[in-house]
Amino acid sequence: MTYWRAAGLNYIQYSNIAARTLRRALKTEFRADAEKREESFIRITPWKDGKPIKTSSPSSSA
Amino acid sequence: MASLMKSSRMAARLVTSATRVARRGYADQMDFTLASGNKVFYTNQNVKQVSSRMAARLVTSATRLARRGYADQMDFTLASGNKVFYTNQNVKQVDVPSFSGAFGILPNHVPTLAILKPGVITVYETEGVSQKIFVSSGTITVNDDSSVQIIAEEAHPVDSLDASAARDVLSKAQSELSSASSETAKAEAQIAVEVAEALVAAAS
Repeated sequence: MTYWRAAGLNYIQYSNIAARTLRRALKTEFRADAEKREESFIRITPWKDGKPIKTSSPSSSA
Repeated sequence: MASLMKSSRMAARLVTSATRVARRGYADQMDFTLASGNKVFYTNQNVKQVSSRMAARLVTSATRLARRGYADQMDFTLASGNKVFYTNQNVKQVDVPSFSGAFGILPNHVPTLAILKPGVITVYETEGVSQKIFVSSGTITVNDDSSVQIIAEEAHPVDSLDASAARDVLSKAQSELSSASSETAKAEAQIAVEVAEALVAAAS
């Protein structure tokens, strides 16, 4: 068993860390574009009686 | 996995020697060699039959391939979250780093599944033309029909790597490792150190 598996990590988590590390080591011109893919946005729209109430501004999550 | 690879390599050798014999027209003869790290069991001895599930499958797939005429062809696909590098392109050879060791894939390779280790994939497109691509992680699939798929989370040509940025990442990861308190944080930092070491080696 690998040390990271022993510590309770799975391959998805391993892969995430490896991908992030690779992005950090890119030449500047490629890095900005690559790091954009690390962020994801969620837009939440609550509905009541069949109608949307309000739309919250997108919140960033890592 | 390592012992599986070893046995499959041996099985591949068996297939090769069987094919050669068949070509010579010695249809009823088989030069059989069985060797391991500790002992040589047979050396070019004529035997009736050798059975192992892996060998049987190999023979079947080799026959099928030969019939289709794909013997020297390999449909290679390499894609990552950021880019598609190859789509069913015929290439000569692909060298990949995996958790079960680095290995080269030629046309007619044994069907294999493996997990990518952070490192450099070398694709030999045609005679003298090769491309080096750094992959973070992902999977390798070698199919029965000689097609190969590599799916990576992040992949970039080695030329896109910055040597000094890689060294920065490495030293940062090392300091994170030494200051990590929990078991998980330590493992996460250790992964980053490993990847960064591969990056430094590839970029320099």
